[in-house]
Amino acid sequence: MERNQMHKHIFLMRQSFFDQGLLDEQFIQLEELQDDANPNFVEEVVTLYYRDSSRTLLNIEQSLEKNPLDFNKLDNYMHQFKGSSTSIGAKKVKAECTQFREYCRAGNGEGCMRTFQQLKKEYAILKKKLETYFQQTRQAGPSETACRPRMN
Amino acid sequence: MEYLHSDVAVHTQQREKLQHFHVLAVDDSLIERKLLERLLRESSCKVTCVDSGDKALEYLGLLDSQEIDRSTASSSSPQSSTQEGLKAVNLIMTDYSMPGMSGYDLLKRVKGSLWKDIPVVVMSSENVPSRISMCMEEGAEEFLLKPVQLSDLKKQLQPHLLKLPVHPKIDITTSNDNGNDSMIIDITMNNNQNVVVSKRKTMTPEPLERRPQMKGLAVI
Repeated sequence: MERNQMHKHIFLMRQSFFDQGLLDEQFIQLEELQDDANPNFVEEVVTLYYRDSSRTLLNIEQSLEKNPLDFNKLDNYMHQFKGSSTSIGAKKVKAECTQFREYCRAGNGEGCMRTFQQLKKEYAILKKKLETYFQQTRQAGPSETACRPRMN
Repeated sequence: MEYLHSDVAVHTQQREKLQHFHVLAVDDSLIERKLLERLLRESSCKVTCVDSGDKALEYLGLLDSQEIDRSTASSSSPQSSTQEGLKAVNLIMTDYSMPGMSGYDLLKRVKGSLWKDIPVVVMSSENVPSRISMCMEEGAEEFLLKPVQLSDLKKQLQPHLLKLPVHPKIDITTSNDNGNDSMIIDITMNNNQNVVVSKRKTMTPEPLERRPQMKGLAVI
């Protein structure tokens, strides 16, 4: 694919993340911290997020198998996970976290489990999309415009 | 009154000063630490990250075991960095919700210690008014909502620039509406670390003060 076309494709891909509500303003904050001295900052943070949070998700998974459910513990884990998700701008994932915590506070185990399944789905979708995005960005190389296209 | 800054000169000065500004960042989350470190480095600060309140206390030499050692020795000035080779810390930024010792607990410990004059900023992803007032009452410098952004930090670090031992000198040129008189306001630090503000008139009017006349709209 011709280079300009690749960049356009990546630009549209990125735009779709915002349009579809997968990412929010916080992601742009990360992009703004990327520069010549920190050229892969966004990818580094996202990679760290997926590595670090998988442990928390496992903890939640295991806690959901217990009987009776320890809602306090679940809420604490989710608070952690929500924090990280917020830090990378994972909008949809964050929304599921909020929902999950509401169910925790209501002591609704069914709700928690349902929400958790949805959360894992969104988490995985975002992961795949961002992996593709970073990979293609690397392949396309530096673009003519500054590396931070603004969201308008 | 109109204030004009020499933006580039001030900005450069500020960045130089902040290179000596050491922030101790406390957060149990790896991602938050990475983010905070990047934000603080972007603001030209020196950063040390620790992952718990206990580690923070250890860094400050405030762990019970360390304090006992010190109380048997003669006391020295807490502010100076010469306290047994401990590094000077200009600001502590701590997450509120941490396992074990919370940010609030850490705040209390610091404020009840020889390091009580170090400003402590508490951060939280949850906007809980009672939590905020509790921290402020305990002496927190500020309470920031996460995710912390660069603009929050810049606002936070701004006032600390005037307290550093290097001599800051910021010229602010003012003019009144007539554009005839002009004053220069000098903000400097005297030997007692007090900020001194003085005004002086310039000899000749600054060219920038003569604003172009607004041309009236032509009537067709």
